Amino acid sequence: MIGAIKGLAGVLLAAAMLYGMQRTTPLYSDIISPVPVAGRQGERVDTSAFAIGVADVHLAREVMASSFGRTRTYTTSGVWVIIEAAAAAKQESLSLTSAKWLGPNGVRHALSQRFSAMSGMLGSERLEPGIPRPMLMAFEVPESQLSGATLLIARSALTPLAEEAWIEMTDVRAQDIRPAVTLGRGNRSQPWTLEAE
Amino acid sequence: MTATAANTGERRRYWFSIAALAVVLPAAILVHTGDTIRERLRDMRNPIAVESGTLQRYAGADWRLTGLARLPGSLPDTTVVLAEFEATVDDPKQLAENRCQVALTDDWGRRWEPAFLPGSAVRKAKPAAADKPHCGLFEELSPGDTVMMAESFVVPEDAESLALSVSLSGALPAYLLFR
Repeated sequence: MIGAIKGLAGVLLAAAMLYGMQRTTPLYSDIISPVPVAGRQGERVDTSAFAIGVADVHLAREVMASSFGRTRTYTTSGVWVIIEAAAAAKQESLSLTSAKWLGPNGVRHALSQRFSAMSGMLGSERLEPGIPRPMLMAFEVPESQLSGATLLIARSALTPLAEEAWIEMTDVRAQDIRPAVTLGRGNRSQPWTLEAE
Repeated sequence: MTATAANTGERRRYWFSIAALAVVLPAAILVHTGDTIRERLRDMRNPIAVESGTLQRYAGADWRLTGLARLPGSLPDTTVVLAEFEATVDDPKQLAENRCQVALTDDWGRRWEPAFLPGSAVRKAKPAAADKPHCGLFEELSPGDTVMMAESFVVPEDAESLALSVSLSGALPAYLLFR
């Protein structure tokens, strides 16, 4: 009798374990997802291929961007997050093409493409080893996703097991939202100008 | 069968399983990473060091570095390195089937890829070089033709011991390293 109960308990335990394993099997996309390299806003973050540091974060309801002598206003139903950073390649020439704003609720917001022609935007220039370059990023995110967010930067969104900088945005607060930010064309060494109202 | 005999059998199976793991695990890893290892091996290349100005036979042509000039860069603390080189064709068929890769390297193992367009410094200081094609246009050549090529690189001003590496896909793992 005791043997039968033990046997039944064993079968039930095995079934429970199998069910648990089936439910928690990571997706293939999770297994090959980029390897995070943690860092914080205002500090230099070193991955094996590139280094990046976030200098300033500006929050605004509107962005005015001038290009080719014309100024256009870009509104949003959320908040504009404009990030000024600097990046350099370490061993090989490379381009950074992937940036995401990971909100506290786990949703990833892609880089805004609305003024992607702005000089200095992420992906517009190839990085060379030993030559740090300023880099601009723009996101449109809901107001609730500002504080407690993480900025994810990688060479490309698709490379399996490549490193990705995970920069904790420690100094982003909803009370710092400005009415508007104006982006203009800069020079060769500082490709844009930024004025906050 | 006594308890001791059963224990011995079990213990033997246990140690056999442990020993098998030591073989099976590396084998499984090897099987799964075989492609990566093959790629790494392909990357372990074999440089042919060439002094500036001397001719070197490579991939159906005689190659020579004709100039490695430093020009002022448009960014602060940077230099534009202009590399001019030529290939005198010996076997046009062998040369035409190749993809060319050019890079500038230094002693620290840093590697710069060429700029797509020659900058204003190149056009101003060496206009003739600015018109030379990139490496890789080897179509419709006959033996004895000389292809003149130029590539420019943006490097930090303090980069030293620079060498130009030229590799043709059909001649790998050998590649030219001009000093």
